[in-house]
Amino acid sequence: MTDNASTNAAPRKPVDWVEQATAAALPLAICLLALFFYVNVPVFFSFKNAINISIQVAALMTICIPASMLLMAGKVDLSVGSMLALCGIVAGLSFESLGVPTTVALTLAVGAAAGVVNGTLVSVLGFSPIIVTLGSLTLMRGLAQWLAPNPVFGFPESFVILGYGRWLGVPFLTWIMVAVIVLGVFVMRYLPVGRKIVAIGINERAAFLVGVRVRLIGVALYVATGLATATAALMTIARINSAPSGTLGVGAELTVLTAILLGGVPFTGGKGSVLRVALALWLLGMLQNGLILMNVPTEFSLMITGCVLLFAAGLDVLRRERG
Amino acid sequence: MSDALVTVVDLHKSFGGIEVLKGIDIAFRAGEIHAFLGANGAGKSTFLGCLSGAVRPTQGNIKVAGGDYESLSPRTALNMGIGIIYQHYQIFEDLTVADNIFLGRECLRMGMVDTARHVRESAVLLERLGVRIDPRMQVRQLGTGERKIVEIARALNTGPRLLILDEPTAALGEHEIAAVHDVVRHVAKTEGLGVVYVTHLLDEVDEIADRVTILRNGRIVWSRPKPEVSTADMAEAIAPSSARIAHVRSRDDLPGDPLVELRDYRSPYTGPVNLVLRPGEAVGIYGLLGSGRTDLLESLFGARPRQSGELLLRGKPVDIRTPAEALARGISLVASDRGDQSVFQSLDAVENLLMPHHGTRLLPGFLRSRRKEDALFDRVARDLSVHPADPRLNIENFSGGNAQKIVLGRWLLDSDDTAKIILLDEPTQGVDIGARAQLYEALRVAMDRGACVIFGSSDPAEIVELADRALVLAYGAPVALIDKPFTEGTLVELAHKMAGGGRSSATQHVSTASSPL
Repeated sequence: MTDNASTNAAPRKPVDWVEQATAAALPLAICLLALFFYVNVPVFFSFKNAINISIQVAALMTICIPASMLLMAGKVDLSVGSMLALCGIVAGLSFESLGVPTTVALTLAVGAAAGVVNGTLVSVLGFSPIIVTLGSLTLMRGLAQWLAPNPVFGFPESFVILGYGRWLGVPFLTWIMVAVIVLGVFVMRYLPVGRKIVAIGINERAAFLVGVRVRLIGVALYVATGLATATAALMTIARINSAPSGTLGVGAELTVLTAILLGGVPFTGGKGSVLRVALALWLLGMLQNGLILMNVPTEFSLMITGCVLLFAAGLDVLRRERG
Repeated sequence: MSDALVTVVDLHKSFGGIEVLKGIDIAFRAGEIHAFLGANGAGKSTFLGCLSGAVRPTQGNIKVAGGDYESLSPRTALNMGIGIIYQHYQIFEDLTVADNIFLGRECLRMGMVDTARHVRESAVLLERLGVRIDPRMQVRQLGTGERKIVEIARALNTGPRLLILDEPTAALGEHEIAAVHDVVRHVAKTEGLGVVYVTHLLDEVDEIADRVTILRNGRIVWSRPKPEVSTADMAEAIAPSSARIAHVRSRDDLPGDPLVELRDYRSPYTGPVNLVLRPGEAVGIYGLLGSGRTDLLESLFGARPRQSGELLLRGKPVDIRTPAEALARGISLVASDRGDQSVFQSLDAVENLLMPHHGTRLLPGFLRSRRKEDALFDRVARDLSVHPADPRLNIENFSGGNAQKIVLGRWLLDSDDTAKIILLDEPTQGVDIGARAQLYEALRVAMDRGACVIFGSSDPAEIVELADRALVLAYGAPVALIDKPFTEGTLVELAHKMAGGGRSSATQHVSTASSPL
């Protein structure tokens, strides 16, 4: 080997076409689907409808971003659906006595506390993430329904504006969603902790032995997911102007997980891109929106969404089994 | 001898444009123990992969059982009578020995698994191999050597004619190695199978091989009957002496105050240890498997708790509870078992190298600088002769020796720091002679700059090579702390005395254990 052996000394790997194709599949699917809807329902392709989609997905997107980072670290949070309900109910019940600022703070605190509990059980005590968060899913749904057996509604105007208000013609909800995506991309791409999250997902023991604060980061990710879920709860109840403890956030954990897996994060963690997860959730939102515009009944819409996920699973297998 | 069982003709294999095998011609015969040696990165694993069907050759033929194949699938290989036992255990700890032996080939009786028959036939098989293992025992209860023998039994149960063993003794102690050797000899001599035996240990080749083949850089250097070759010949062929670095090191007057001091230090299963190290000093911890080496090292690093006693750095007692705290104080650890504990599979070389350093003094700020990262990698690649010196290459594409250089490189990057304490556990396990010398040299350079090295090893030669002092452990208790000069024989004798008679009577004068050296 010569002295100036460096990057360009070793022969480069040839282009991996399967990798390229699967990487392009998601944006391509979005374009094709958009084109398909546009041909069938021209109104689909408008700024107004794009805003509609964004309002639909904003709350879940807010949860999706930290939840995908959590999965990249090899952990999962299945409790976000009920956590959303609990936070929504706590907020709904508190406005009258506490006022808006304190209520928002309290709601975020509830989300963070749920994250601390999940995170401590999983990352510090080493319990299985699936079992722990399935448990807290059920627990928090019960808690929410106990606190408010009936739907809570009638929120202060200064809060409800969060649901319909706009800035520069774009809803607040959309701004929040964009801010969370930007934050997620920034953390994963530029902050040291982004590398450490991936490292934990690949090999937790090795990460521990190179000094990564594995437990702290694990708890922090659960707390981030909890904070995001509390934010999503505020966004949701502001938009629908009510907080029904029985239905609020039901199944949200599955949509979130679907988007994350569709976005290419393996269930075992260790890699993934926040931006692709955002794209995947956008695809799901777009699919739902377009099918409604085309007057496709909900049951077909569900079947089609299921097929999309199965297709994504196929792509994933293709990517893993190459070579 | 008889005709070849398997003949390989002009076998080539490339990965992504890099040719790893450059034309291998070789034949394996029945009843012959064929030792296969080569440095890490020589192409051994790839070659074995071609034989077992795990790797598809780019060119060439494999002739086996009358057929001529361009490539084998794992199933064909098995059907053609080629059995392989991988270096890492492919064994299920929670199943019984019999269930492991019949795994995937279960005997049925009225549609149900016939466990009784498994036990019966396993007992016969194990007895034939001359070992006493109860097939009803859970593998969890077995020692490492016995587990390897169970793996051999499982392979034999598929009725192979050629048995490939990839470093079967890599993690074993002396007694266990002897037991595995007995079984391998039985398999070749009594049962008449062909055996391909891959190893790094030259002594072992002397012990059991009939024929020796040396692989270097994807080519066969030579293949000769064992009686014609000496250990020196083999070492020279694996790593030509031009590539090795002679070491001369005098450390009569070690300067300075103690850097590390252990006072009655106890880790969960080991101690009490008393030890003082000055800058530039290396202590080797010698002991068999289970002697407490790993326990002690991981405890010093904060990965396991300290039970009692004191650890002093520069004269001040410190309490280290996590690896992060250890690293902040300049203590680093190269853990044993690279794949499980050190390497981040699927990340590239530079990411693996710099994982501990993001956001530290070495790589401050949050904006990543690829150029700066590559410069750091290039420095390590140059200092430790990492090959290939490609920062973007996935870590999985590096040989064991080169991956280990990158792992060690993590803790040598911060070269200004003159008071580092480097802990290493089995630093050269699965590393070839050439890379080994380069790793030792890198450690010596660090020590010349004032670093302390504490390393554990089951290889007495490694202790003699690198350590100024040796701490011998047996069953978690320190047996002796001896200064240079000492010999491999001394170390083995001390450890075995305790291992053999130590549990009942802890005297230094028990002479029942025999030293193999």
